[in-house]
Amino acid sequence: MLNDVTFGQFYPTKSFVHKLDPRMKLLALIAYIVLLFCADNFYSLLACAIVLFAAIIASRVPFGRVLKSVKAIIFILIFTSVLNLFFHGGDHLLWQWKFIKIYQEGVIFAVFLILRLFFLVMGSSVLTLTTTPVALTDGIESLLTPLKWIRFPVHELALIMSIALRFIPTLIDETNRIISAQKARGADFESGNLFKRIKAIIPILIPLLISAFRRAEELGDAMDARCYSGSKNRTKYKKLKFGIRDLVTFLVFGALIAGVVLLNIYCFQICPQIYEFVIVVR
Amino acid sequence: MEKDNEEYIIKCENLKFTYAGAKQPALCGVNLEVKRGEFLSVVGHNGSGKSTLARLLNGLLEAESGKVSVLGMDISEGNNAVEIRKSVGMVFQNPDNQMVASIVEDDIAFGPENIGIEREEIGRRIAWALDAVGMQEFKETTPSRLSGGQKQRIAVAGVLAMKPQILILDESTAMLDPKGRREVTDVICRLNKEEGMTVILITHFMEEALLADRCIVMNRGEIVLSGTPEKIFESGNELETYNLALPRISKIANSLRAAGMEIKDVLRPEQLAEEISKNFVKRGIVVGQFKKYPIKDDIKSGDWDIEIKDLTYTYSKKSPFAAKALKGVDLSIKEGEFFGIIGHTGSGKSTLIQHLNALIKLPQVEKRYRKPKAKKGMPPPVISSISVGQFDLGDKKCKFKELRASVGMVFQYPEYQLFADSVFADVAFGLKNFKKGLSDEEVERAVKESLEVVGLDYDEVKDKSPFDLSGGQKRRVAIAGVIVTKPQILVLDEPAAGLDPKGKDEIMELLHKLHREWCKTVIIVSHDMDEVADNCTKAAVLSDGKIFACDYPERLFARSNELISLGLDIPLTAKISNCLKKQGMEVNSDCTVEGFANAIIELYGGRNA
Repeated sequence: MLNDVTFGQFYPTKSFVHKLDPRMKLLALIAYIVLLFCADNFYSLLACAIVLFAAIIASRVPFGRVLKSVKAIIFILIFTSVLNLFFHGGDHLLWQWKFIKIYQEGVIFAVFLILRLFFLVMGSSVLTLTTTPVALTDGIESLLTPLKWIRFPVHELALIMSIALRFIPTLIDETNRIISAQKARGADFESGNLFKRIKAIIPILIPLLISAFRRAEELGDAMDARCYSGSKNRTKYKKLKFGIRDLVTFLVFGALIAGVVLLNIYCFQICPQIYEFVIVVR
Repeated sequence: MEKDNEEYIIKCENLKFTYAGAKQPALCGVNLEVKRGEFLSVVGHNGSGKSTLARLLNGLLEAESGKVSVLGMDISEGNNAVEIRKSVGMVFQNPDNQMVASIVEDDIAFGPENIGIEREEIGRRIAWALDAVGMQEFKETTPSRLSGGQKQRIAVAGVLAMKPQILILDESTAMLDPKGRREVTDVICRLNKEEGMTVILITHFMEEALLADRCIVMNRGEIVLSGTPEKIFESGNELETYNLALPRISKIANSLRAAGMEIKDVLRPEQLAEEISKNFVKRGIVVGQFKKYPIKDDIKSGDWDIEIKDLTYTYSKKSPFAAKALKGVDLSIKEGEFFGIIGHTGSGKSTLIQHLNALIKLPQVEKRYRKPKAKKGMPPPVISSISVGQFDLGDKKCKFKELRASVGMVFQYPEYQLFADSVFADVAFGLKNFKKGLSDEEVERAVKESLEVVGLDYDEVKDKSPFDLSGGQKRRVAIAGVIVTKPQILVLDEPAAGLDPKGKDEIMELLHKLHREWCKTVIIVSHDMDEVADNCTKAAVLSDGKIFACDYPERLFARSNELISLGLDIPLTAKISNCLKKQGMEVNSDCTVEGFANAIIELYGGRNA
């Protein structure tokens, strides 16, 4: 159950990646995801992989920790690749049993897909492992600021996110306390059928909800007392600043974009003998 | 008029207020004037209208009738409420529920941001405010990693950063341990003395009310007494008519007076010691004539003894946030004791007691447990063990459910765990979980019995929603919900936390009743030393995950210097004893208010001598 005092995945070290501006990291991740989906050959994918592994090494987060995040999607990975293995058409038939046919193209595509998703999840977890949720919220708020022009409530949204983050540890503690208290009264959350288990949650859920509302009310009063009145006439203390590190990262990703584009165009000429094993979708 | 504003920073005239749906008004005709730079303390029972008054002063609530003016501005006029809020900072009770941001400096910046202060100025104010509360090094910390006292200091800093002229603290120390309370009160005293801040301190603690220049007592929505705090608390018995408890020191003074000693009304332990020694000198009682207080070492082993050996526990093992909560605890609690576990927040108290009914299980009974291998050159790995009566908690075959039925556990603020739609259903919850197949009559009988033993009228409350009850009643219902299975051992984490002094006394009385009639052993976790001294037969001090001492109160509190160095308080009786000791008089008593008074009287030469 919920027994970890920390939440999110943040892994504290003082690495290059940790010190990057959260906006840079967010933009880099978005660029990275786009590139992964643009890459249509193994050369481009290799370029993406090199940048990913460089980032992981630079972040000084243990590799196993990054891999752990892939565990969550392993089922989707297997499922989609098996599906593609069987239903991908092609010219080179490898194996056939009754109506099930496996083509060489299908195998290559499945491998490609697995790697692509693999890198995607690992890339995202590099962001969450090296960025505190608070910094992430600040980054999102800052990136969304232009939306103020179309009257999108950016400030309110950011405040909601930051309050949610602030209260997650508090509410986890509270949940643990309530679970313990009800367990001490003989409540059983671990056995019985689905219906019974859902019913067993009620003694946790109701006190938790009531407490959340009580907290909300008190927080509202405290915010009122500190003169909160929306985003009007409000100043902002924290400003994010781009630094040299961010410039370096920007250049690396610029190079990666250029690399992927070039590799996508010239992949046929690199090693024409093996092109059918390397180029995936065309 | 102009001069008036200079002198009185707050003026209230005939304030009335009734909450929606309430039958009784919360305030009925309050007049109050506060001078600039004054330190005012407000005391009163729960529900006396203290918080309502505070909320009217900064416009969080609007008075039904009457007038509030702050800094010469009428709060009901135009935009004054907003202006007034800028100069009236308010700190609330629960430190967790008044922080918006997950980083200290961001949270402090929240107020100044709201009133449109420039960025550079906010930076300067954060530094200044953190300095004022002595928390500079925590600028970039997460509040959830701070102690209660530290969080509350951050809350004060967050208010200070708006540069208010008045600071209101609405029971801001009620949820803190003595160390945290001292931290907060030190800060506000300094602000009042050095910065000339006007302070209004709402509190239940006499020691805190005494810090103020002036004190007012509220009762049922009215201000009933006003004057210097000394004068108010010296009026002793009058306090009881206003639903306030008599201060402990006045109780001792009363007993001594009844025995014929001449004791003036005093409030501080050194003064009382002075008074006592004057009496002794008058009688010609000389130093060093006092016999030792005999310690009764008569608690025998029973069927429900608790033995804890080498207990260690680490939170978030194998993560970068691993924290050792217990570092080898040895403790034995005999059947029949009223046992106290003392320690400040973070000392591992809660972790320790959750082991007693296997809410936290020993590692060797977990499924994935592997025996630690002995490393060469190292001592063999220590295996924790706990036994409670017949139960061996290190045995996989231990019947944990039966254990939990026998070891009742009441958590801190147990009223927050109520959930059912009627009091009956909530109390019956535990019973039905533990004892399947009870007939309706049996359930009803057990529920009725336990509600009555906690002092509630069964027929009146059984169908009510637990959420409609008062705070004290809720706590009683929650306790009833634990004792309904008739546990042999009852463990309570801070049973009196957050109650007013009278409510505290009532809860402790209830626990003694349960100890006499219902449960063999009662264990309370507390950081209130007076509570432990007055009630417990034996107590253990937990510090930094280890047992610092486990002894009878009289011997334990004789080591007062060590306790103070751990950041703990000592009971009032021990403080007076220490003062007397300095004058060469050694008083040995069991540290309860009664026992102490009797010891003094005996030394004095008996009641009617």
